Amino acid sequence: MLEKPVEDFIEPTAGLGFPPVPDSDMSAQSIGIGRRALARLDRLLAVVMDSGMVLVLPVSLLLFLQWPLRDLVQAYSRQANDLAQVLFALYVSLALSFATRQGTHLATDVLARHLPPAWRQRIARWAPLLVLMPWAVFILAASWGSVSASLKQMEGFPDTYNPGYFLIKFSVWLLAFLVLLQALIDGFAGKRDAG
Amino acid sequence: METIGLGMFPLLALVILVSGIPAWLALIATALIFALGGIAFGALTLPVLTALPYRVIGLLEHDLLQALPLYVLMGVLLNHLPLSATLFKVGRRALAFTGAAPQLTGLGLGVLLAPMNGSVGASVAMLGRTVTPRLAASGVSAERSSALVAVASTFGVVVPPSLVLILLADTMMRAHTEAVNVTHAAGRIINTQDIFLGALLPAAALLALHLGITLWQGRNDGKGLAPGAVEKPAWREWLTALLTIVFIGGLLGAVVTGSLYAVEAAATGGVALFLFGLLSGHFKRGVLKAVLRDTMAISGSLFALLIGATTFTLVLRAFETDRWIAAALSGLAGGEMVVLAVVLGGLAACSFVLDAFEIIFVVLPVVMPPLLMRVPDATWVAVLTLLILQTSFMVPPFGYAILMVRIHQARLLSNRRLLAALLPYLLAQLVVVLAVCAFPAIVSRGQAEVVAPVEGSIADALAEDARQSELLQSQQIPGK
Repeated sequence: MLEKPVEDFIEPTAGLGFPPVPDSDMSAQSIGIGRRALARLDRLLAVVMDSGMVLVLPVSLLLFLQWPLRDLVQAYSRQANDLAQVLFALYVSLALSFATRQGTHLATDVLARHLPPAWRQRIARWAPLLVLMPWAVFILAASWGSVSASLKQMEGFPDTYNPGYFLIKFSVWLLAFLVLLQALIDGFAGKRDAG
Repeated sequence: METIGLGMFPLLALVILVSGIPAWLALIATALIFALGGIAFGALTLPVLTALPYRVIGLLEHDLLQALPLYVLMGVLLNHLPLSATLFKVGRRALAFTGAAPQLTGLGLGVLLAPMNGSVGASVAMLGRTVTPRLAASGVSAERSSALVAVASTFGVVVPPSLVLILLADTMMRAHTEAVNVTHAAGRIINTQDIFLGALLPAAALLALHLGITLWQGRNDGKGLAPGAVEKPAWREWLTALLTIVFIGGLLGAVVTGSLYAVEAAATGGVALFLFGLLSGHFKRGVLKAVLRDTMAISGSLFALLIGATTFTLVLRAFETDRWIAAALSGLAGGEMVVLAVVLGGLAACSFVLDAFEIIFVVLPVVMPPLLMRVPDATWVAVLTLLILQTSFMVPPFGYAILMVRIHQARLLSNRRLLAALLPYLLAQLVVVLAVCAFPAIVSRGQAEVVAPVEGSIADALAEDARQSELLQSQQIPGK
């Protein structure tokens, strides 16, 4: 089930509200710099993801236009489909981490609700970091050769030869990279529920 | 080694239930634990796992999956626009002569909007907000109204072109391809259209039965408001309701007849609803931003589940547990019906703890290929799966729709009265399931005529498939 009802999603994806860090000694200063960097990163991710929200509209429009283009105009239908495919891939790569930020991932707490709150907090904080960090690093490393070659060649769609297929492969990197950053932010800030 | 992967299922259930972490995280966590263990003990090699990014790319370039955010957009727009409230108002007025107008309208609304709504949970939320308060105002008990909302929201599972149906159709198509490749059976691979058409007649039968039950229950309630007491809709509301019904009916017809692909239908629905919101002036005060935000958040959560499932099934397949399950099912004593009963029984049990999407993404890819090796009529199996899932969602106390209805109900429901309200509907489900079991021709009217394997047994075919896979692995060719 959804962690939150749909109506609750309308809070803005603002920063995490990191508390100010006293800069009395070196270690505190370095922690402070780290936290400030994470807070900036968090705000940057919020801006990037908020701008990506609109992508669903051109995807809908292009896929809707596909059938008049195919059946009436009898041209540009494949181009519309390929462009929609690229935008869809970019949208999904942003949406995954956006869902984490909004706490909408499907979860069930039938037994977990009986755990002490401190345990649940620790699980929520560290599980994404321990699980998603190695997963994302593996995706980035394992796809390095294929994705970088695709980007260098500006690979086109294999069936239609339309340009832009490299952006679909790039979306895998983007997806993994955003998951990695989000896991780091959630793990070290510990303000948001797991996801 | 193959049986090691079986341990992934109980561990996954344990992680999901005990830790409370999101399901996609639990899927990846379980896969990670087993992958690391497998590599450490020499049961797995790393090159096999390098197929993972290619699997993710496969998801991102999958034509059918483009429908996912589009359906979510439609569902979110329906939640934010007052369309469902208008439809309810008009339906209640138009059906006032039946003596069960609120109940029939509630069910009708579910049938009309649930397929566009994406998921059972989203339909329960929409109907709970639109129908439940109005049924309460008409004097319908909370248990009867909850039963109706639960039943209406599950119609999205069987009425095409719902998101659940589209994703299940895609999974069945892949499973069928896999089964045919292994058994070398002659025949056409099923497609989405076959499953849409196959589900049509059982869905119509269910609708007729459920409407009859609702009418009977509504008349027995006998507390409805007098027709004069029902608020009169304005002409604009009549027009909106009429256009909506014609539009949704047209979309459904176009998809079923093959004039529109499911993705195009979803896009058309999304664009039409968006234009409605824009032209009717409802996108005010951040409503549009909320629509876009909800769409992205829900789409992301569904895709996360898909990515978690693809990671999980890759590790499971790396252990060759899928082959072990296939061999176990192919060696199961008894005929086709025994294997079918075992798999469908397992799916029904899964539906008490897993959502439709988790079942489609995690369980079906593992159990369906071996089932289709034994029971080659893929359309029939797909429709039975849909019916079993739909029925299980409304079985109290753990059915998914029932759990969701309880969450949305302000007061505590009596289990006994809820069961009494649901019982006629569950019996109707049973009748349709038994009819489809007994007469496969109801769903597979001349489609995908698959002939059983022509040479050798299924076990031989599986062994040959395993040999070819080992050869590929030894050459370290990452598959897609």
